Amino acid sequence: MKIFRFIFAAAISTLLSLTCGAREYNGPLISDEAPLFGGVAVSADLVGFSMKAIGGKFANMEVSGRLNFMEKYFPLVELGIGECDKEGGDNSNKFHTRAPYFRIGADYNFNRKFNGNRFFGGLRYGFTSYEYDFDNPTFQDAVWKTQDPLHLHGLNGRNQWLELAIGVETKLWSIVRLGWSLRYRMKLRQKVSEMGEPWYVPGFGKNGTTTFGGTVNLTFDVGKSAKSNKKKK
Amino acid sequence: MRKQTTYLICGLLLLLAACETIDCTLYNTVGLKARFYSQGAAVSITDTLTISACGTDSVLLNRAVSASDVTLPMSFWQAADTFLLRVEGDGYVLADTLCVQKTNTPHFESPDCPSTMFHQITAVSCSRTFIDSVVIVQPSVNFSQFENIQIHLRSGD
Repeated sequence: MKIFRFIFAAAISTLLSLTCGAREYNGPLISDEAPLFGGVAVSADLVGFSMKAIGGKFANMEVSGRLNFMEKYFPLVELGIGECDKEGGDNSNKFHTRAPYFRIGADYNFNRKFNGNRFFGGLRYGFTSYEYDFDNPTFQDAVWKTQDPLHLHGLNGRNQWLELAIGVETKLWSIVRLGWSLRYRMKLRQKVSEMGEPWYVPGFGKNGTTTFGGTVNLTFDVGKSAKSNKKKK
Repeated sequence: MRKQTTYLICGLLLLLAACETIDCTLYNTVGLKARFYSQGAAVSITDTLTISACGTDSVLLNRAVSASDVTLPMSFWQAADTFLLRVEGDGYVLADTLCVQKTNTPHFESPDCPSTMFHQITAVSCSRTFIDSVVIVQPSVNFSQFENIQIHLRSGD
């Protein structure tokens, strides 16, 4: 129920903002002004790096690159490193993993106005191959009373998933953009050790059939789009 | 610009509104499930049944009456476990040992849940006092509540 509230609030806040902005706009439309190829942009997700900096349980630290076609279509690639160190709340269990992940997909910009702001939806395919560790230093047999630490290291996992994204982005200054996106991730395939599933999957988040995530992207236009943005400024 | 900033901030706040749940399995007991049979049919032992684990001072089942099946914990690291089954009736006591050979595989669900050991039964044997034979039905001993072995009693016991 909390998840539905979360999505509902996000969607409403986004739509309201865009609707309010629509009444004030008298500028050019994308269909009239946008070039066929609008350039390249690179970005970094500030959430992942922030979570790492404040010592969060897990962090997806990622960068991405995307192309811009007609200010509407944005094929993109996202590369990152997912890291997790999780300890059990009431026991001495420890889970650890750190591995790269990849996503490929595209965004579509729903904003018809050529004003530098974007409201986009997108689809991504994600993949990761990783190793994970599980430790229980106080692993004890209750009847035979033998205690032998459990150190399961280098367990292999592979995941593939689909990701739906919605988000907004605005031009802050010249070639600098800031935006956020919400992600809904759906597991396609998972191969893990028979000893146990990972608590966290790099790039996917907490292991499960579906999960939510989000990014806050600081984006820089480079190449052709950077030049056009400077001219507009 | 003000509106754009507003919805950027809204988004940031929503991203922070994450929640976490702990999903440990409800049936987290791993044990060898054995059911008693006589002449091919499931029966209950009308006498008093006590089961202990050899090599420990633990009594796993204490003076149970009308037991039709039992779930026995297994050792984490040993290659074989031996259980002593003792039946007391009016004026008699019968004892049998049940030896279960197995392999052990660690298993975990989540860092928040207790880790445990799954087993694969490779062979079973018994002394034949009141037990006639033991048959492996499901060799995997895990969270599932399936019957693992059938203990066939001598007829007339």
